Amino acid sequence: MNPAQTQKLPGIRMGLIGGVCLVILALIGIVEAFNERHIVAGVISMGHTLLLLTAAFVAYLTAARSRHLGFGRALGHVLLAGLIMSAMLALLVLVGRAVNLRQVFINASPGLYQILMFHQESLAAGMALLLVAGLLTAFLAGLLHVAPQRLRRVLITALLGIVVVGLLQDLLQPILGVWAPLATMSGWLFEVSGLSLAGALGLAVLVAAVTALWSRQSAAVRARIQSLAPDRQRNLKWAAILIGLAVLLVLPGVLGIFLSEVLTIIGLYVLLGLGLNIVVGFAGLLDLGYVAFFAIGSYTVAILTSPEIGAYQLSFWQALPVAVVLGTLAGALLGIPVLKMRGDYLAITTLGFGEIIRILVLSDVLRPWLGGAQGIARIPKASILGFEFSGPQEIYYLLIAGCFLVGFVSWRLRDSRLGRAWMAMREDEDVAQAMGINLVSTKLLAFATGAGFSALSGAIFATKLGSVYPHSFNVMISINILCLIIVGGMGSMPGVIVGAVALVGLPELLREFAEYRLLVYGAALVAMMLLRPEGLWPEAMRKRELHDNLNGTGQPDAPRG
Amino acid sequence: MAAVTIKRLVKQFGGLVAIDNLDVEVKEQSIHSIIGPNGAGKTTVFNCITGFYRPEGGDILLDDHSMVGLLPDQIVQHGIARTYQNIRLFPNLTAMENILVGLHSHLKAGYFGIVLGLPATRREEQEANDQALQLLNFVNLGGKGDLLAKNLPYGDQRRLEIGRALATRPKVLLLDEPAAGMNPKESQDLMDFIRHLRDELGITIILIEHQMRVVMGISEKVTVLDYGKKIAEGTPADVQSNPQVVEAYLGRGSSVQATRAAS
Repeated sequence: MNPAQTQKLPGIRMGLIGGVCLVILALIGIVEAFNERHIVAGVISMGHTLLLLTAAFVAYLTAARSRHLGFGRALGHVLLAGLIMSAMLALLVLVGRAVNLRQVFINASPGLYQILMFHQESLAAGMALLLVAGLLTAFLAGLLHVAPQRLRRVLITALLGIVVVGLLQDLLQPILGVWAPLATMSGWLFEVSGLSLAGALGLAVLVAAVTALWSRQSAAVRARIQSLAPDRQRNLKWAAILIGLAVLLVLPGVLGIFLSEVLTIIGLYVLLGLGLNIVVGFAGLLDLGYVAFFAIGSYTVAILTSPEIGAYQLSFWQALPVAVVLGTLAGALLGIPVLKMRGDYLAITTLGFGEIIRILVLSDVLRPWLGGAQGIARIPKASILGFEFSGPQEIYYLLIAGCFLVGFVSWRLRDSRLGRAWMAMREDEDVAQAMGINLVSTKLLAFATGAGFSALSGAIFATKLGSVYPHSFNVMISINILCLIIVGGMGSMPGVIVGAVALVGLPELLREFAEYRLLVYGAALVAMMLLRPEGLWPEAMRKRELHDNLNGTGQPDAPRG
Repeated sequence: MAAVTIKRLVKQFGGLVAIDNLDVEVKEQSIHSIIGPNGAGKTTVFNCITGFYRPEGGDILLDDHSMVGLLPDQIVQHGIARTYQNIRLFPNLTAMENILVGLHSHLKAGYFGIVLGLPATRREEQEANDQALQLLNFVNLGGKGDLLAKNLPYGDQRRLEIGRALATRPKVLLLDEPAAGMNPKESQDLMDFIRHLRDELGITIILIEHQMRVVMGISEKVTVLDYGKKIAEGTPADVQSNPQVVEAYLGRGSSVQATRAAS
């Protein structure tokens, strides 16, 4: 297919692609699963939102591709795309009602068809509504494309604002509930499930107003901050950091137990991600057995503290350094046999190492020491000066401390001789060696540092759960961590946090996603590679900072590191 | 006195003899060129000197120390640095960071010094930054330190690669076709720069180059390789008039080639 042909009929092409996407979404059950919840109470459910947003996105792309044809014909193509998409869904309903599809597609239930027909009793009315919805969505998306840029941005932000707030209702409601005036607002904003209609409209207006204001004023604000004296800029920066810290510290109290639990899971993955980021992001060593060190940290703490094993019964604080040291040593030890391996070979070998550890802790032979399939329970909680890290709201502080420690160490290492050696090795191993970098010690330090961080988070994980089981340490953990690093941006530390929130935090909050987590991961990775291969928060930000410094004075400011 | 002595060097790849009993002596603070047709084994010599390849026989001496059997990172610490025929910078690091990597073996900061931010480590890092900036200026890249190496124009990349090699503070610098892809004006500048390196910094320079104008313009001695063997050596003028060299480069009718193939 040559480009000229693909340009000729964008409406049909995009419509078919969009239609296939919609049918797949319907058949895998995601639409029905999402339908439990409403975005705007009584008006639109999450399932419909998903379908309409997908259709709108495709129609918008169609509009972008047929722009050169002129307004009238472009509109025709957009409407055609909308028609094709809804027609394909209509076809699905018709076929599904005539033939039993459930033998192959178990989610093709009558309930699904009800949703697709917008809960209409009669088939004709449902079909008509479906087609009208498709055409209308496409028409609006097409109009959005021709709207002036500023208006378009305001409208899209307002729409996304409603969707996001609706989705995160469970998160936002308790937060707003803390302070009485906000609680009143929250009562007005939310129904039991979803936003109230008035709340949604109010929210849209508010978001639109803020966006419009910001798009007009942001340049001026930025310029004013730029024009401040350097020490005042620094004060401003410190103030922002302190406010951020204060927010972090009061967060678990405000959010309550469930959300604090989500935060601790995110924290664990941030800790793990920062460690793997050193190995994969900085040094470019693709390590798929990273979960092994997490397991070593957990089991070390379990064995040393649990009365079930009984040999030691140390406190958490006595066991923690042992866990970290053992993890670090294991990292270096794994590093030795794989020193000469690169790329795929390294990935496969480390993958095997991860499995070895899991199978070892599962084995019956080692049961007296490692607990076998039943794991080790009754791991005591950590406590400090009478403050016990018992529930998620307390463990959270342990994780925050861990994240700060690990983040600080990574940051120091990154801007040092060692960090540069890692990055040089990532870029070109041979040349790095020819620049005087000892590959053996540099690689082993990367493996050991990453493994030490992983063992640290493993130790916290053990005391958080109070028990360890072999099945907690499967290869999916390694894959999850790798995914969040890629999505966040390879080698970028803020990227790890963004990635952990996006890939670990959001699925926890949006329970509907839980079953489709892998699907979402896959889609997110493909989308990332196409749209933002450098990640959500790439390392290049640092480059730009450096750039500004050099422009100002001709010298980079302050020692780096 | 010789800076680098290559004695009866042999390098084989399977049945192919890439370097065949090569003897070369490079005088201290000289500019010594190695030339020869494509596939003559010039870059292989460089790879043997810098430890990328381990030769099957012979020896390579730097100031009477044997370099054979050492790893590339040990050899660079003895004072031999190189550039590459097809530029091999660290593409996603900035120009500044590329130079700083070159300084690696002269920095002493340990793991805990780095993590704790000890004053000695900070001072060392500051000094390294200053040196790197100086080196950037030296190779005419002042003000471009914050650009990613891959985004630099071709000529800048060539000079950055030389700057990175200089950061290792070499006694001997191996340049593999530094003038490749340069116009006459640029290669003239490069020749001045290479002379400057030798005169100001006292670095011995070994050069592989195809542009005869450059080779003949700055070399004090030229070694000509063909099929891994040394076929001529001497001043540029000697080499240019040597009939064997002319033959190796141009060939001399089919009968001559036939006899050579037979022998």
